Amino acid sequence: MAKAFSAGRRGITGFLEAPERDLLRKLFVDIITMLEPETPASTDPLAALIGLDMDVSVPTDPALLRLLPDAVKNDADSALEFRQLTERSLRETKIGALRAASLGLESDKLVLDAEAAKFWSMALNDVRLVLAERLAIRDEADAERVHQVQDWGEADDVESYLSLVYNFVSWLQESLVQAMLAGLQRRP
Amino acid sequence: MSVSTAPETDREVVTRELISPDIPWELIVWNDPVNLMSYVSYVFQSYFGYSETKAAKLMMEVHTVGRSAVAHGTKEKMEAHVVAMHGFGLWATVQKGNDRG
Repeated sequence: MAKAFSAGRRGITGFLEAPERDLLRKLFVDIITMLEPETPASTDPLAALIGLDMDVSVPTDPALLRLLPDAVKNDADSALEFRQLTERSLRETKIGALRAASLGLESDKLVLDAEAAKFWSMALNDVRLVLAERLAIRDEADAERVHQVQDWGEADDVESYLSLVYNFVSWLQESLVQAMLAGLQRRP
Repeated sequence: MSVSTAPETDREVVTRELISPDIPWELIVWNDPVNLMSYVSYVFQSYFGYSETKAAKLMMEVHTVGRSAVAHGTKEKMEAHVVAMHGFGLWATVQKGNDRG
């Protein structure tokens, strides 16, 4: 079984069993695949440099839309214009965090400095956002319904399996963030 | 008379709209049932440099009211913040501020 993360002198440490690391690696890779842009970067060097993407459109997959939401409410034109300017670099930021977290899965013991912990918390959060969309978690009651699924022995369909995975990743993120908050409190 | 004063009035209105440098913009963070309260609090502390108390207050406002204006300032600053919030996975938008809340 995984151990909760804890903050110590050497940074934040955690422990994951091999099957747990395999599971997380698969989840991280899935989301990297979702986030990889469908079209290559612009051939215009300046556009490529600043990440400008005029071909971008609002994601049709609701889970991807949750990862890359509109930055302006009730104004589709402004939201799309903003997306053209920022979405490509946002995808790269997220992919970077997911890759960094994946690299940390090489050994069963995790030792994270502040930067690595931040990437881990972002990666786990994106995993939860996608799983939550697949599980149709729209409000607190839905979240509670999923939270009730705790018994791996009863994981007999996709939804209960995904619920258990979601609850595991939630537990892991909560323990990581608690350790990170403890680290922030010790700041001079 | 009315012909000569009307354009004058128009120009004044347009000028005010374009040059006013301190129209406050807001960064709104919205509630969702997925993001952990601890994580939202961590983001507010680590990214904005808010105290534990201020971060907790804003986080509770998001949780109970459904939204909170967590930062105010120029349009460019708020746009940089909204990209950062989306990087963290928080659901955030920018808007022209109605008040300085």
